[in-house]
Amino acid sequence: MARFFPLEVTEIRRETRDAVVVTLAPRDEDRQAFDFTQGQYLTFRRSFDGEELRRSYSICTGKDEGLLRVGIKRVDGGAFSTWANEELKAGDALEAMAPMGAFHVPLQPEVSRHYLAFAGGSGITPVLSLIKTTLAREPGSRFTLIYGNRSINSIMFREELEDIKNTHLGRFNVVHVLESEAQEIDLFSGRIDAEKCARLFKGWVNIDAVDMAFICGPEPMMLAIAASLREHGLRDDQIKFELFASAPRRAKHVVKTAADGAKAETCKATITLDGSTRIIEMAKKGETLLEAALAASLDAPFACKAGVCSTCRAMVLEGEVEMETNHALEDYEVRQGYVLTCQCHPLSDHVVVTYDQ
Amino acid sequence: MTSSDPQESMPLEDYLAQGGKLTTPENAPPRYRGELLRLMATFVDSELAGAAGFADIVNQGPGIKERIAASRIVLEKLDHAERVLAVMGEFGADISRYANHHPWTARVARDSDLGAARHGSDMRLAVLHYPLQDWLDAVVMNVLMGRAVTLQLDELSSLSYQPLGDIFRTILPRERRHMELGEEGLRKLLQDKANKPPITASIAYWRPRVAASFGAAASQHFDTQKKFGLRHTGNAELAAEWARQVDSFLGDIGLR
Repeated sequence: MARFFPLEVTEIRRETRDAVVVTLAPRDEDRQAFDFTQGQYLTFRRSFDGEELRRSYSICTGKDEGLLRVGIKRVDGGAFSTWANEELKAGDALEAMAPMGAFHVPLQPEVSRHYLAFAGGSGITPVLSLIKTTLAREPGSRFTLIYGNRSINSIMFREELEDIKNTHLGRFNVVHVLESEAQEIDLFSGRIDAEKCARLFKGWVNIDAVDMAFICGPEPMMLAIAASLREHGLRDDQIKFELFASAPRRAKHVVKTAADGAKAETCKATITLDGSTRIIEMAKKGETLLEAALAASLDAPFACKAGVCSTCRAMVLEGEVEMETNHALEDYEVRQGYVLTCQCHPLSDHVVVTYDQ
Repeated sequence: MTSSDPQESMPLEDYLAQGGKLTTPENAPPRYRGELLRLMATFVDSELAGAAGFADIVNQGPGIKERIAASRIVLEKLDHAERVLAVMGEFGADISRYANHHPWTARVARDSDLGAARHGSDMRLAVLHYPLQDWLDAVVMNVLMGRAVTLQLDELSSLSYQPLGDIFRTILPRERRHMELGEEGLRKLLQDKANKPPITASIAYWRPRVAASFGAAASQHFDTQKKFGLRHTGNAELAAEWARQVDSFLGDIGLR
């Protein structure tokens, strides 16, 4: 079960017009838990209007800085990022899980490698951690960053990147690609797409010498870059992705308690999977929702049937159900309406359940 | 990493269909999550059941080397299960309960016929419900199943959930080594001519059962997995490649 630790905000710095950099300190007894690996992220939780939100933000510090720091860019309509940008202040407490994520490769001080990273917008945060840690801990290695932004003002960590260049002369190179600004060299304007990659690999980046590539940014950018890297000879195990942790893509809803009471012995269950809906008449006792769905030839996902693995998770949109056991869903998920269908029996005469949300 | 600008974003289904990778549980939409967990559970349960079955055979190894080989297979299969179970844990699974929620040594009667269907309450491949009879039988099973596992792991190494793909890629050489240990063991058994008839009988027993583990040629489930980038090569294609490799190996050792 997820465990959250309190973190104190020790500093909050405005990085660009719509992004802040937040420095955090764990309690002494939690220090070990926050000994992160470069490229990892923290998942925060906070309640907004009674609904718990969880958001992940990448750590942007290197391992040798002795600091825990994340960058948070404001997203239009994003409750957490707006709150962090407008209201969060030093001295506040945040709750976060221990660092997670596998956006890194193990470092080997004795080897000399050439790393290539692509970052789009706030996708720079984990990449910055990789750059700083790698340059410090693999003294023979080089790092090239291709960094896409809308305009010069929206570039996060612009000065810090310059500083890194000066500290590690000849080992770090950054190419800024700006979408809405014309530049002297046309190659550095526009979006980072397949064509841009091909041109960069011709003159600016010796792609044959690249050992490992990292990409963090929006989906279309990641696809275009990955395809281009493969086309230029990189294998799958040489390409590491970190996808933006997007806001939940499901619609909001309110779980309704059935008004029709719970008089009947059977329940009319409306179950949706992959966009198709079946209406099933099922006994309230004995059969679980999962069993009813499977009996109706719905290919519903499940594995352990013991309330442990959460494979069979679905959302109850209407009606009332009861779970026998739950070892996998957290309270906030249950409040959102999620259930383990392998453990669920209907209580009301009608339930509406979906595996798609 | 931070929440994305919706204008720069694209529907996740399109992203996955075009070979995009997901990297955290938060990225995974509900149906994707369900299919991914199902796939992981199948792997974990198969490794746990496989290791449990093999553990009982260790003492029957004709020499210390063979017993070491069998022990290593047991150890590493458990290790592989643990690694993938840890990923399931990131999706919320209770991993300590999971490891003990089924009797992994349970087997059906030798002459049962399960086809490709799941049996009982865990997700192991049907082939792992059949009992091993003795050392020779275990070696044959390991040779045939080892090939299948190697092909399937190779297929899964490029799946769209990158943390899992990375794990499969890392364990693939070790699973391949398990298969090679089986092949060495089989060659050794064949040095005694008297073993040939029981080996032939054992191959006849296991071959259709391992073949069934690739799943049906036309599978709606495969289509769903493919849509999510969890699978790429069809069941029938993988099964045909397996059959080709098995025939070739059996030819090499004079069993065809």
